[in-house]
Amino acid sequence: MLPVSSSQFPAAIQDASRPRKLQLLGILSGFAAGAWLGAAEAPTKLVSIGISPMVISLIMVIGVFLARWSLPALILGTSSVRADVRQAPHLIIWALLAGCLWAVANTLTIFAIRDIGLSIAFPLWNSNSLLGILWGFLFFNELHQAGWRRRVGVLGGALVMCLGATLLAVASSARGPAAHSLHGVWAALGAGILWGTMYIPYRKAYLTGMNPLSFVTFFSFGELGTMTVLSVSSLGLAPLWQELLSARSVIFWLMLGGFVWVIGDVFQQYAAKYVGISRGIPLSNSNQLWGLLWGILVFGELHGRSSSIYLEVIGGSLLMMLGVGAIAFSSATGREQIRWREAAIRESDRYGVATDFVEARMDGRQVLGEAKPSRSGLDWLLVVAATGVFVTFAAMARVPQMSLHWGPAAVLTALLFLFLVICGLTLWRTTRFN
Amino acid sequence: MNAPGRDPHPRGWWAMVLSDIHFWVPLAVLMGGLLLLRFIR
Repeated sequence: MLPVSSSQFPAAIQDASRPRKLQLLGILSGFAAGAWLGAAEAPTKLVSIGISPMVISLIMVIGVFLARWSLPALILGTSSVRADVRQAPHLIIWALLAGCLWAVANTLTIFAIRDIGLSIAFPLWNSNSLLGILWGFLFFNELHQAGWRRRVGVLGGALVMCLGATLLAVASSARGPAAHSLHGVWAALGAGILWGTMYIPYRKAYLTGMNPLSFVTFFSFGELGTMTVLSVSSLGLAPLWQELLSARSVIFWLMLGGFVWVIGDVFQQYAAKYVGISRGIPLSNSNQLWGLLWGILVFGELHGRSSSIYLEVIGGSLLMMLGVGAIAFSSATGREQIRWREAAIRESDRYGVATDFVEARMDGRQVLGEAKPSRSGLDWLLVVAATGVFVTFAAMARVPQMSLHWGPAAVLTALLFLFLVICGLTLWRTTRFN
Repeated sequence: MNAPGRDPHPRGWWAMVLSDIHFWVPLAVLMGGLLLLRFIR
């Protein structure tokens, strides 16, 4: 691999402050992703009212599918998706593969939540950050020439997060039915491995210049296809239909969970794009803290447990957050970013993607002369259709008969929207969502 | 803006994909995940 010269990426050296801005944007996106991804898991608590985990996952994925098509159509228009695909058609395969990984991981998390609870399962599958660091280092030159301080920040932060996760796993041994707790731990760890590996396609797509909004659009076919096959093969078509009919009063809440997940995932995609997967995943994994807050404050998880269990769960979560903080303060330097660009050139050479396209997209901008994305009638049709589906199921929805604390739920929801506005505006001003 | 070196034939980039380790690692993990799901169910 030849080193990157200024002639290969000339714009990269024209605005010296641009890489720093993009790093900060990636970090902000990672924290926003954490808040939204954490909130998205809350509806899966409905598993306790007797719906099959497969059906819950399928309904969530239908919500995800609707969101993954309507949000990109609303933000940039499907014309930008078509333009991206013309540049790098091979990335459709990686998007589908990532979608398949997501669907299987999401199903495993439903089993994990059922068996060991939300506040315990979360940190276990968040071990995906370790795998993300490994894949980022091995495949995409991340942390290469980063300097010892930043390597220690990222690796040390990840290890502290593991310590926190272990503390939470110890707490799990005192909770839940013993007959299923081992299955729950395996399911949560399996989900972590699948999600950690899912970031290989993510990073590959962004090093090759694909817009996150385009990537998630094709991603949705992989996840919906996989989830449909899993559900039908597991339950059979007729029983699945019966379960869907009997669950119609909660379909809206689960689809809403899927929708919220997509908003978090879009922020996560921008984090993976601008700070890499070795940093982006741990930052997004601050969703563990949000999941803990939703679990304890809104759903009353751990209510009546001994104070030592509370201390273990809170201590473990704080350790994980400490690790996340260390990683957030270890952003990539110029030399490491040059190694990222070498990885990008490798990809563009291998698949014949135009260098100016890759360069521009890595810098969060359009290629000179590229048509500005615009929305067509088809885009508005997608948005209206998706909204119509949500409104229809909202009309059928009933609030589940569960003990919920609405005050904390309102506060957490307000915080979510604060993140949405701040991060969304910053992304728009800095990159126009490119 | 199109890359001059791109193979216009889909089989060209399919061959590239199938010889790319970035494709096989996620695929292997996906297979493992499906097996784990089957075991847990």
